[in-house]
Amino acid sequence: MQETQNPRNPTASEKLQRLLISQEGVLFLIMLVSVLFLATRTDKFLTIDNLLQQGRFMTEIGLIAIPMTYIIITGGIDLSVGSILGLTAIVLGWTWQELGFPLELAIITGIVSGTVAGFINGLFIVRVGVPPLIMTLATLALYRGLAEGISEARSARGYPEWFFQLGQGEFLGIPSQLWLLIVAVVIFGIILARTRLGRALYAIGNNETGARFSGLTVNRHLLFIYAFSGFMSAVAGYIFVSRVSTTRSDMGTGIELDVIAAVVLGGTSIFGGTGSIPGTMIGVVLIQLLKNGLVLAGVTSDATIVVIGSVLIFAILVNNFIQRRSGES
Amino acid sequence: MNDVLLELSGIDKVFPGVRALKDAQFDVRRGEVHALIGENGAGKSTLIKIVSGVYQPDSGEIRLAGAPVEFSNPREAHSAGIATIYQELGLYPELSVAENIFMGHAPTRKRLGFETIDWEQMEAGAEALLADLNIHNLDVGAKVGALNVGNRQRVEIAKALSLNAQILIMDEPTAALTESDVEQLFSIVRLLRERGVSIIYISHRLNEVFELADRVTVLRDGEYIGTHNVADTSEAELISMMVGRRIENLFPKQAAQIGEVVLDVRNLNRPPLTRDVSFTVRAGEIVGLAGLVGSGRSETAQVIFGVLPAEAGEIRLNGEAVKITRPSEAVDYGIGYVPEDRGHQGLIREMTIRENTSMAVLESVSNYSFVNRAKERTLANRAIQQLSIRATGPDQTANKLSGGNQQKVVVSKWLASNPKLLIMDEPTRGIDVGAKAEIHRLMSRLAAEDGLAILMISSELPEILAMSDRILVMREGRLVGEFSREEATQEIIAHAMMSASAVGGAREGDGDYPAPARSIRKGSSPTLANAGNRKKSTSNALGGDLEGD
Repeated sequence: MQETQNPRNPTASEKLQRLLISQEGVLFLIMLVSVLFLATRTDKFLTIDNLLQQGRFMTEIGLIAIPMTYIIITGGIDLSVGSILGLTAIVLGWTWQELGFPLELAIITGIVSGTVAGFINGLFIVRVGVPPLIMTLATLALYRGLAEGISEARSARGYPEWFFQLGQGEFLGIPSQLWLLIVAVVIFGIILARTRLGRALYAIGNNETGARFSGLTVNRHLLFIYAFSGFMSAVAGYIFVSRVSTTRSDMGTGIELDVIAAVVLGGTSIFGGTGSIPGTMIGVVLIQLLKNGLVLAGVTSDATIVVIGSVLIFAILVNNFIQRRSGES
Repeated sequence: MNDVLLELSGIDKVFPGVRALKDAQFDVRRGEVHALIGENGAGKSTLIKIVSGVYQPDSGEIRLAGAPVEFSNPREAHSAGIATIYQELGLYPELSVAENIFMGHAPTRKRLGFETIDWEQMEAGAEALLADLNIHNLDVGAKVGALNVGNRQRVEIAKALSLNAQILIMDEPTAALTESDVEQLFSIVRLLRERGVSIIYISHRLNEVFELADRVTVLRDGEYIGTHNVADTSEAELISMMVGRRIENLFPKQAAQIGEVVLDVRNLNRPPLTRDVSFTVRAGEIVGLAGLVGSGRSETAQVIFGVLPAEAGEIRLNGEAVKITRPSEAVDYGIGYVPEDRGHQGLIREMTIRENTSMAVLESVSNYSFVNRAKERTLANRAIQQLSIRATGPDQTANKLSGGNQQKVVVSKWLASNPKLLIMDEPTRGIDVGAKAEIHRLMSRLAAEDGLAILMISSELPEILAMSDRILVMREGRLVGEFSREEATQEIIAHAMMSASAVGGAREGDGDYPAPARSIRKGSSPTLANAGNRKKSTSNALGGDLEGD
């Protein structure tokens, strides 16, 4: 019982201790150790240029990981994010090149289609009661199929120079899209941690019936987060096209697994109810740095995957162990 | 009669931070019903878990038929003849009655050189076991999932007997049962006692102890308080043993000034469990809603609260007609609902007291949609103080609290919303005597001092009779009776709940709308099937059947 006595005014050192044994704290330490270790293997890894470049590459995963965190906190899942990313890219390229839309309008059309795609997921999940796993597994195939059908295996290229600003340019020495990710992380991190919306998501994830019986508008919240997921995947799609200068229908294939891995690694329970945006972001960064650092250290790509998998399992085990110990004491 | 079968002495059990049992003792004679009572957290569950091998005592001795024994797991206790029937039944819903009874020890026979299950013998064996318990109307081939709670419990008892149990532990066996199921259970218990089976009976309901038990042992705060022959003790004595003090009035009821009509429900319809229901609740009034389990009381409450929106009919609040299609609208109109299933519907157990008490008023504790934790904490602290919730502070998680304190958190959530109407569904089910009296006192005070209109659903007739200003009775989805506090007696209400020809007493006529339909189909008795149906409709209510949001 001694642990539960008056937790009112913790001292600074107690606060630090609590932070260190939190899920995020443990993960952050694992990340630090990995970075330091990789830095001793190759001097190309721990350079400003390389790290900024990695920031560019991880933005798409990072953006999608935000709504994915929201969704997994409610106990749901969205497997269709990669396909929505691809669909958005294709709609963008096709409306611009084939239908002759102005590029600005094409971008908006693409993002709107992605949002609608996410909204449709939410609609079936909420109104028809299809389990999120099944619904988004179906639209994973469906949206990808749509993208392929629209593109007819052609790729759109030849975008004007300004279009590449977001994906390839920089602002104040930092890749443009990384700014976008940072702003999004701050805003949506605060929304989750501090607002009514965030509170409602945690309540839904812990006990959906209880949330309903408390007068929370559960369905509205669920509808919103799946549409939000579509929107963020669509923005990620636009950035993707801008980064690689071309549009293909297979863009974003498999990205959903990277995103989910990062979210779960970041301490969000796959059963819902717990999780945070800072945790998710540490997960995103850790995976990206491991991928990059191992390649630079000369590890072959199949070995890299094995190492990443092992680190994932290790991180989760360590975290479980520490959480259980601190929960007991 | 003085043949002691099981004897525990000097039992200590410490969990991290909690001393669950201190030098506890307990004994069971052959062929007796020994009731074990105490408030929540008194150590009853720990004690029976030690008897059934789930926990091992830190010190102390267990003797079975005179010989010291140690159970390192439930299996060992099982084979020593000790079986437990838990509140949460441990059956396989997808398997048949016979399969469940013989789970793990099915009769086999050799067929083509293989050991195979002998289905004929298993079904015959199951039938014989059930017949032994005077149960003749249960199909051993039926899936257990399709049975109602009472029948499932009977299957569980038969299963225990198939293992030749000498000691049967029943933990709150009547908590989820209808009145007629309770009767059947009692006759089974008596039958078993006659056959020499010893029964350890845990219950919160003292009347059951007096009806059924030979001896009763009281625990308090992990300590053994005493054992009495039931014939030599009284309810008052047991209560004072349990709480360590005398409770003068279990049902404190303050006289209240009854005011204007707050809730006026007219011809509310959502078949099958809400049919043409009309009634009113006034400010300062506690209206008791009685009925058997499955009579549609909770469903009607949920129609009003918008969980199961009405298909037809009218709801008026303070004279204004409103349309409620989801709980959030009901909350906006000033209705609070303390649901029947505390853990599932009432609380978010993984979250803190602070987060739970502000759940229904998030808007008012937020600035520009940012939740103000200081305001939340003030709210929670006030609730802890006013309702004397025993907790370490507002940031304690709800599932660490005892049942009574959890219920107080649910109540505080709705009080925070300043409701005009509070619906309380089984407000004191499964909570101990002390907390129960506190909740009753609170209800009384809210009605008398704050003029709150309260609709109280309860399956405990003493609670209904003592707390209500007016009593409504439901049966098969219809309102079948209305009684004033003065005219109501246990017999009258019970009769109205069960009989097919009940007619209400003097109805306080508001006069301007038709009286509730009292046409009741003759000859249809309140059957066990009702409970089964209800189970289904409830699960619907929780699943996809929720309309809108």
